[in-house]
Amino acid sequence: MIRVDAAEWRSTIAGFHGSGCTLFGFLTGVDRGDSVEIIGRVAHPESIEAHLISTTIPAGGTLPSLNDLYLGASWHERETGEMFGITFAGLTDARPLLRRAQQGSPPLLKSSVLVARVVREWPGAAEASDDGRRGGNPSRRRQRPAGVPEGFMQDEADGRSAIGGT
Amino acid sequence: MIPDEAHGVIGLQPSACTSCMICVRECPTWCIELESHTEEVSEPGARRPKTINVLDAFRIDFGLCMYCGICVDLCPFDALAWSPGFDHAASSAGGLVHGINELVNWWPATNPSPAD
Amino acid sequence: MISLALMEVAERRTPERAYRVAGAPALRIVVLDVGLACCALEVGAAITAGLLVPDVAGPGVPKGIDATVLLISGTVTDALAPGVLRAWDAIDGARHAVSFGACANTGGPYWDAPTVTKGIDQLLPVTVYVPGCPPRPEALIAGLLRLVDETATA
Repeated sequence: MIRVDAAEWRSTIAGFHGSGCTLFGFLTGVDRGDSVEIIGRVAHPESIEAHLISTTIPAGGTLPSLNDLYLGASWHERETGEMFGITFAGLTDARPLLRRAQQGSPPLLKSSVLVARVVREWPGAAEASDDGRRGGNPSRRRQRPAGVPEGFMQDEADGRSAIGGT
Repeated sequence: MIPDEAHGVIGLQPSACTSCMICVRECPTWCIELESHTEEVSEPGARRPKTINVLDAFRIDFGLCMYCGICVDLCPFDALAWSPGFDHAASSAGGLVHGINELVNWWPATNPSPAD
Repeated sequence: MISLALMEVAERRTPERAYRVAGAPALRIVVLDVGLACCALEVGAAITAGLLVPDVAGPGVPKGIDATVLLISGTVTDALAPGVLRAWDAIDGARHAVSFGACANTGGPYWDAPTVTKGIDQLLPVTVYVPGCPPRPEALIAGLLRLVDETATA
């Protein structure tokens, strides 16, 4: 994988495009905490030549769009933009694909708590020693379901400001 | 022709289940519910009675189940197994939830009882 | 492709891809497949296995059909839900919705996703739910025959 600065993202990929890698593979993001890593793949349509290119931008940051070079990049940039909360400057159609406009926080950021996991009672919280009592044995530290951070369980503290989506 | 090993439904052997909750906690769709209580049993020769879990209810919501088989794979006591049944459509979403009575019947005939 | 299939059902009102259930004499039904994800492959398998028979009458709902079945096989997102509803509204006469697979039943593997509809029964009345992820082609036919039974006795 080729790692480049955000300033060289477009020029690097444009260089590959110019040398014959006109096939757009995919583009996606990875939440790195304070930053988002963007990874793209372009390939030569008639050879095995292919390149994975990666860059890192601050959370909520901006990257120049590739959709004038590769039409196929539009879909991926729309999706990555709405799922990771970043902007692709120059993207002709940036309408959200799956999310309603401005609803919650971007779902693929790790800080987005899936509200369904908080609202639904986790069946795994039950213990045999609860002896059928709902809410269970208060002396025991409750097990927590995967994907629900501390402080988000029904019987825990209030603060649920990070809940994303619906 | 449906092969015996087809992943149609999941059968339960209640006598093998120790109510350890591993299947419930590892299920990605939270589709398993288990209710149990503890009982003390005295064994001859033992100093104190030992505490065992007794299974009261076991339900799988096949409307939610993603048929991943993690519960079957992870059960330390082989109390869960795949069964090839397929004719389990229901006229309500609640009709896809099945308890011990149905799950016992779906214990595959090809599987020896783990309790044996 | 997904939206094309939906458009076909929703806009033309006379879908070309309609199927009958082999061996269901009690009630003649036409199945409109709304294939949205991997479950649609099992519907395809049911067709190649001869369990679902392509309707020879061509476009439009043929005469002598008692009911039209909207078969939702796959994941319905909130973004796509209006399209499914349009397909449902476009059916003339007696109609039933069959929910095929975990996604259509409850959201299934995407039960916690903020973008997925948690069961199509939030959108429209479902007559029969077929469990599975995905259900086998045989499960589809069993579900359709159950629908035939239930509607025949109703």
